[in-house]
Amino acid sequence: MKTKIALLILFISGSLLAQEQKMSAAEIAAFKEDVNVVSKKIKTLSTDFVQYKHLDFLSKDIETSGKMNFKEPNLLQWQYKKPYNYSIVFKNGKILINDEGKKSAVDIGNSKIFARINKLIIGSVSGNMFDDKEFTISYFKLKGQNLAKFIPKDATLKKYIKQIELTFDKEEATVVQVKLLESSEDYTRIVLKNKVINAKIDDSVFSN
Amino acid sequence: MQKSTIPFFLINCFLALILVSCGSVSKNYTPKKLDKTTYEAPYFSDSKTDYVYKANITVYGNELSGIFIAKKINDTTHRVVFTTEFGNKLLDFEISETSFKINSIVSELDRKILINTLKEDFRLLLKKDYLIQEQFENESNDIYKSKDGKRDNYLYVSKKEEKLDKIIHTSKRKEKITLIFSSENNIFAEKIQIIHQNINLKIELNYFKPEENTSN
Repeated sequence: MKTKIALLILFISGSLLAQEQKMSAAEIAAFKEDVNVVSKKIKTLSTDFVQYKHLDFLSKDIETSGKMNFKEPNLLQWQYKKPYNYSIVFKNGKILINDEGKKSAVDIGNSKIFARINKLIIGSVSGNMFDDKEFTISYFKLKGQNLAKFIPKDATLKKYIKQIELTFDKEEATVVQVKLLESSEDYTRIVLKNKVINAKIDDSVFSN
Repeated sequence: MQKSTIPFFLINCFLALILVSCGSVSKNYTPKKLDKTTYEAPYFSDSKTDYVYKANITVYGNELSGIFIAKKINDTTHRVVFTTEFGNKLLDFEISETSFKINSIVSELDRKILINTLKEDFRLLLKKDYLIQEQFENESNDIYKSKDGKRDNYLYVSKKEEKLDKIIHTSKRKEKITLIFSSENNIFAEKIQIIHQNINLKIELNYFKPEENTSN
């Protein structure tokens, strides 16, 4: 009987492990190359997103959704449409906010943390943030997907984000999900859908 | 993920404040015989409900926004979390009438004066049980007076629908904090305003309507 249970446990844990398998060095190199090739081609990117805020003590995740627009080299708009209208634009050292029609701007000048955040968002969405200086990165295989886990090295950044997990579609080598972990229990999961690469996006989109 | 930097320096405004203006409580209301000795505030009392609101904070003309989340975690205590729109936690605490425990706070908000202000506001917002000592009325409301340490709370309950419309927290002579509720069913408040009379601070909470289709 004991043996049976032990076997069963082994089987279950074995199959759990199988869902998230570490990549070999060769697989990592091939995966990074795929992502880099795709992300280098990105001049513009727009995508719908659904954001799930998970807090362990809540009975349900908090769901918000909207659209994200990016245009090279560093124009970024993150726009929530449901359940409220809230849009934030990163542009030329400024953050422009439109909160249900109430507009405000924040000048962040040459703030290093701003540059880092901007890079992080664009990196998260385009997938190209394999920077070993900034992160300790580990790579995994899932069914039809690849997963990269980034642990920030910078102490300031680490205070806010414990870990970033990017899930990639294996075929397209693009990001389908961003997960930002604040602690082991609390995280934000952003699912990207209907991604359009290199369609024309007018600059006025980023005026907010 | 940009959370922190964006609105934080606005917070400094919290530090620059604390001016005292006068807003004397003119109670021209008619005293009335007590029709009850206790009152239960309904709006944050259900332990099964996730109370999720869009929060807009105006402090000395500056705006700060985010998401306000409250949940009753046991008979006496609520867990309260304030995040940015992006979901980053700015402040996470547990509060009851007698206890207050901070689980996490970003360093930009970690100021005693701000924490004490929010603690007072949210303790009042989440308080459920009131003992009534006096009662008044005006045209539209029954007004219950409830002692709160050295201060008083005045609860305005509409005569017509028996909804809790307003709570005024006062010192002996001055109004300190006013909470205004908009509720359709007196179970849940769709909109809440927290207005300070002695500092230029206003917090507005608007209920998040849950999405019907939670697809993934």
